[in-house]
Amino acid sequence: MAEATRRTRTLLTVVALTFLLGSLVLPLPDTAAAAETPRRGGILLAAIGADPPSLDPHQESTFANIQLVAPLYSTLLQFDPLDSSKIIGDAGTEWKTSPDGLTVTVKVRQDIKFHDGSKLTAADVKASYDKLVFPPKGVKSIRKAHFAAVKAIEAPDASTVVFKLKHPSAAFVSNLASPWNVIFPKKYLDKDPNYFKTNVVGSGPFKFKDYTRGATFEGERNPDYFVKGRPYLDGYKFFISPETAVRSAAVRSGRAYIEFRGLPMSEVEAIKRQLGDKVTVQEAPTPGWWAVSFNHKVKPFDDVRVRKALTLAIDRYTMGKVLFPLTGLKNVGGLVRPGTEWAMSQAELEKLPGFGRDMDKNRAEAKKLLAEAGFPNGLKFVMANRNVKLPYQDFAVYFIQEWRKIGVEATNRPLETAAWFDAGRVSRNFETMVDPHVDFMDEPDLTLVDFISTSPLTNWSQVSDPQLDDLYDRQSRTLDKAERKKLVNEFEKIVFEKAYFAQGLWWVRNIVHWSKVKNWKAAPSHYSNQKLQDVWLAED
Amino acid sequence: MRTYILKRLLLVVPTLLGVAAIVFLIMRVIPGDVALLILGGDDGGGQIDQAQLDALRKQLGLDQPLIVQFGTWLWGVLQFDFGKSLWTGQPVTEELLIRLPVSLQLALMATLVSVIIAIPLGMLAAVRQDTWVDYLVRVVSIGGLAIPGFWVGILCILFLVIVFGWGPPLEFTPPWVDPWANFSMMVWPVVTVGYRYSAVTTRMTRSTVLEVLREDYIRTAWAKGLRERVVVIRHALKNAMLPVITLIGTEFAFLIGGLVVTETVFTLNGIGRFVVDAVAHRDYPVVQALVFLIAFSFVIVNLLVDLTYAWFDPRIRYR
Repeated sequence: MAEATRRTRTLLTVVALTFLLGSLVLPLPDTAAAAETPRRGGILLAAIGADPPSLDPHQESTFANIQLVAPLYSTLLQFDPLDSSKIIGDAGTEWKTSPDGLTVTVKVRQDIKFHDGSKLTAADVKASYDKLVFPPKGVKSIRKAHFAAVKAIEAPDASTVVFKLKHPSAAFVSNLASPWNVIFPKKYLDKDPNYFKTNVVGSGPFKFKDYTRGATFEGERNPDYFVKGRPYLDGYKFFISPETAVRSAAVRSGRAYIEFRGLPMSEVEAIKRQLGDKVTVQEAPTPGWWAVSFNHKVKPFDDVRVRKALTLAIDRYTMGKVLFPLTGLKNVGGLVRPGTEWAMSQAELEKLPGFGRDMDKNRAEAKKLLAEAGFPNGLKFVMANRNVKLPYQDFAVYFIQEWRKIGVEATNRPLETAAWFDAGRVSRNFETMVDPHVDFMDEPDLTLVDFISTSPLTNWSQVSDPQLDDLYDRQSRTLDKAERKKLVNEFEKIVFEKAYFAQGLWWVRNIVHWSKVKNWKAAPSHYSNQKLQDVWLAED
Repeated sequence: MRTYILKRLLLVVPTLLGVAAIVFLIMRVIPGDVALLILGGDDGGGQIDQAQLDALRKQLGLDQPLIVQFGTWLWGVLQFDFGKSLWTGQPVTEELLIRLPVSLQLALMATLVSVIIAIPLGMLAAVRQDTWVDYLVRVVSIGGLAIPGFWVGILCILFLVIVFGWGPPLEFTPPWVDPWANFSMMVWPVVTVGYRYSAVTTRMTRSTVLEVLREDYIRTAWAKGLRERVVVIRHALKNAMLPVITLIGTEFAFLIGGLVVTETVFTLNGIGRFVVDAVAHRDYPVVQALVFLIAFSFVIVNLLVDLTYAWFDPRIRYR
């Protein structure tokens, strides 16, 4: 009996070893590889939280516009869909900046057709950028300020576009890769520069199919797309719903495969719990912060001691841990996204007021500063806020409870969006205000502008500091990256030393999507990587 | 009767004008403007300057004196032109026509469901007053009044999704295109809204039937030995219906523009959601047109309710 058992064991061992060795030597049925072979076909279903005011990306600044229409257009350059730190060509094949930094020349592909069958040429690029940089009367251009350095745009031949600049601009090439700066056919712009507010004629991987305001937006495959074999999808369809719980339920039930902007962590976790491996979660640190602005024209916020005390009181490191599961706000950083090429080191950051880790010391200093400023028993004020739960209200609650520890009593005053914008930008009817800033890329020009005196509508705190204005201009014109980084960090140090505002946390997007959505990488910004040309759907 | 209808219709004009003027002023008093919202971006990232802001305000006509803005709008309305949305640039009438059928269908179906539930239950509770049937009906109707509609809606969706992995469709399909798809989408919002409104109507039916059952002529009917069914349905119910009809009418009129939460929760692209979006965007022409429409539907429904009175109660005669 023992002999038979031994024989059986030996036989089983031999069989197992043979199978194991065989599996190493012989090619396995290539299930993993097969699963990753792009599959053509299918409609990508997505949920989105809002309707765009218009379809023209040149004239809008909401995710609700760009997520819907980005797949319909080409841009001159683009951020690499799989590595957003790299700029690659789209309609433009190569680009060159002259040694003096005053001329940028871009070569345009000659095999691109618009969806109406006409050919895309440098003249269309020039017309589109003319509209952006020098908008005609009655046409707004949200991104005009990004191209303040442009003197003239020329199209010497069908395949060349030349941008002449008034002064070197470090951000210029990155702006050419902006998802918002799409290329329109010139002939329609000539007739009506507002044509694309309600119409779509692009050259992107998808063609416009249908749009029912407040309900759905659809695109279908462009069979003549200039990238051979793309797109993989037959089309895409967005369902518009302003209610977060509904969008979450839509993803959970498979009515939508993805919500590109990002759902609250609680929803993401609930979906993951229910669907397991059927869904994938992508975390993407975003070029966007939530902070508190002080109204420098209102006492006592004109006093640097008060402002510094208020920023010193905030334990940002604990805040990241507490708020991330609730809101997606997570990372501690300065005025440029932590971890990027522009960010100062952690050690440098921790030397600045409010970023040190010793909270007992910070709070003691804050109390001392308040006493010196004439508030030994603390002070009371109102913090205006947007009446949006995520992340605004939770963010305010954290600040208020931290301030309480130094004897400061702040009241959260939620305002609906229009009133909040009005108070922050126009009437300046606030003492302190929750003030976020979200961009489409990591670019100091875009974020530092919030503190320069020549841009009052973005400068909610009304900071007026000639040193900052000068530094802003200098960093903006410096093409040497190392030198520019130095200037940017110098700018940051002034903002934090003088406590011009109280930085909060940097946002991290959490995108949950069905795992069958392949080859889509969440970019840092929810405005970017929405062209969908490489995305494909695996079978259920 | 004809004179009465004519008078009522003529009264519609000053009513609507008054509503329009009040809404126009309220919208202008609250802070915030559409130009700032368009240029500002979702989270404050939009880079704008004063010149751009001023140019957009001018383009939208917001730089004009209020009286001129109101006059221009009113002149348009007299020509059945509600203007263009400041937010989208699209004609308001066009935008309205996309959304009106959705709200109308929901309001009609919800009213129907509420009537089907409420009248028999209310009547039963009255006839069986202070029995377990009455208590049960009262509990159910108090539940309908106390539980917020949006909560019931979200619970419905979550229950379906969590238990069955099924969520209601996200896209509205008109019933004449695909009745089943339409039913799949409408059934839960109709049940949610219908239940809530049936609660109000049940309570009203119960109390009015109870009141009528105490009348002398009902006592006479009992004394004559009529059967319960005859007494209750033929004698009591018809006379108890007047306040109930008023309630059903005003509920219906309210539902056309008042289903904000339900429409949001169930992704229904209706008038309620539209009005809230328009207020949030400070889209004055849209808000004015919608309030105009909602006020108009109230007036018309009230008129229809008054006319129905005559059918139910022959004592009422309008001259």
